Amino acid sequence: MSASTRTRRTRPAQFPWDLVGLVLLAVAVAFAPDLLKALFGRASVSYLSIATNALSLSILALSWDVLARTGQLSLAHAAFYGAGAYTTALLARHADVPLWIGIPLGGLAAVVFALLLGAATLRLRGIYFAIATLSAAEVLKAVVHHLPTGIAGGNAGMNVPTLFRPEFIAGQMERWEVAFLRNEAYFYVYATLLCMTVLASILVQRSRLKHAFTAIRTNEEVAGVMGVRPARLKLLAFVLSSVFVGMLGGVEAHRVGSVLPEQSFSVSTTVLALVTPIFGGLYTTLGPIVGALGLSSVQEGLRRVFSDGYLIGYGVVLVLSILFMPRGVVGLVGGLLRRRGKREAGR
Amino acid sequence: MSDILRVTGLVKHFGGLAAVDGVSFAVEANQIFAIIGPNGAGKTTTLDLVSGLLTPTAGRIEVLGSDVSAATPAQRCHAGLGRAFQVVQPFPEMTLRENVLVGALFGTPGRTRADAERRADAALELSGLAALADVDAEDLTLMQEKRLEIARALATEPSVLLLDEVMAGLRPAEARDAVALVKRVRDSGVTIVFIEHVMPVVRDLADRVLVMDHGKVVVEGSYAEVTQDARVIEAYLGKEEVA
Repeated sequence: MSASTRTRRTRPAQFPWDLVGLVLLAVAVAFAPDLLKALFGRASVSYLSIATNALSLSILALSWDVLARTGQLSLAHAAFYGAGAYTTALLARHADVPLWIGIPLGGLAAVVFALLLGAATLRLRGIYFAIATLSAAEVLKAVVHHLPTGIAGGNAGMNVPTLFRPEFIAGQMERWEVAFLRNEAYFYVYATLLCMTVLASILVQRSRLKHAFTAIRTNEEVAGVMGVRPARLKLLAFVLSSVFVGMLGGVEAHRVGSVLPEQSFSVSTTVLALVTPIFGGLYTTLGPIVGALGLSSVQEGLRRVFSDGYLIGYGVVLVLSILFMPRGVVGLVGGLLRRRGKREAGR
Repeated sequence: MSDILRVTGLVKHFGGLAAVDGVSFAVEANQIFAIIGPNGAGKTTTLDLVSGLLTPTAGRIEVLGSDVSAATPAQRCHAGLGRAFQVVQPFPEMTLRENVLVGALFGTPGRTRADAERRADAALELSGLAALADVDAEDLTLMQEKRLEIARALATEPSVLLLDEVMAGLRPAEARDAVALVKRVRDSGVTIVFIEHVMPVVRDLADRVLVMDHGKVVVEGSYAEVTQDARVIEAYLGKEEVA
């Protein structure tokens, strides 16, 4: 035994690509607004807004993926998103809570709801789990609908104060520069939230949780017999997933300036949350982000070429990529690189 | 007595059917304990009840003196029960080392990462899989899969290892290797309970043999004792097997 242990101790330490990637991401987003402004001037206002949407999609997708790593293909992301949005909005409206408390509390509300939902769906698998989680958003939507309008605004929703209101003073700055400042501030909030989500995902992937999540996803019974506690870890995944999307809902409520039942608990939030990681590559940190940046670019490109009906083209791209890239962009590229490496090693 | 596993009055009903009907037995430390019987006798159901995959209708299961009858599979694993399945179920997305590492990391609470990696490597070594540690678990032969089943269970550091038909589907030479492996595992200090159909394997390995039929214990004793038992010959062995 000792001889072979010795040979295997020489395994080279892996280069920390994930942490280096996170640092690069942080640096990139730190300089992105100034770079856009220098390159595009006035047009950078809308570019910054598009980039913020891409960050938003990244947070949505990556947080969904963390939960999916345990094999729980949840359709509850709109519920967590809406729970966060409404909590933040209610706190701002009724208690004048400052955003630095309101947004984390939105995340906390999503976690509480996720724990309840997670506990209720622990024993459900496959289609039954999907249906139960899908109904979660509908239940919350109905609750918000039926609360007295004095509390949550009912069908008409509520206004939420925007976070950043730089004042326009004639002569000091141009109007677009003021809009730029506002968008830049939001961009940094989203970027911070994304970096937190990425960090959480990296920590999961570097810890023993990665192995536990994969084991539960592949075969829950076998995982249990090997000492993994599926119930506890599945709930943990619910918490890790919902906290970020809940905060995203809170931030977005401020950015949009309102919450509405139809918009905050929209099925399209749920669909985007799962389609994006599938497009980019499931069960990785990189995949959902690549998916979000890729899909945002495709959507924006198509919108510019075909102003009407671009969503049809977007749908075609999605269907084709799921048919021909079952492991997503990251899986495809990784597979090609590995094959090339093998061919070169064979020479 | 140093009973490491004690099962008392175990009952499992599936609807109207009593798959396991009042089974009791005790396994001493460092024994190799065989459970045999015809198909449908309730052997695998008994192991599923012991490892917690099924909830018993009645009965009591003790590991190292503590009652685990109401515990989850993970808690029983922590209490010292290891399990290898008849239908091998590796985690195909992981390498062999990662497969075994799951058991090493989670089988005993509070173990450090470095400690678990050492334990995983030791389990791979004992099971003869050290050379394949970095291979993906989806590319294995049946014998390698069976070895992996055992390695994963060993990595949890069980006091008792439950093996379900490890020899099924193996060629004679592979079966001999598997017998040697089971002996090595026992010699490393692990008590073994195994289900087996191949009688020469039972003869070579078992210290005690429990014969089941229709969910009940027919007889328990040494290999020589049970193979002389008229009820066993009738229920299971058939006339030519005894010779």
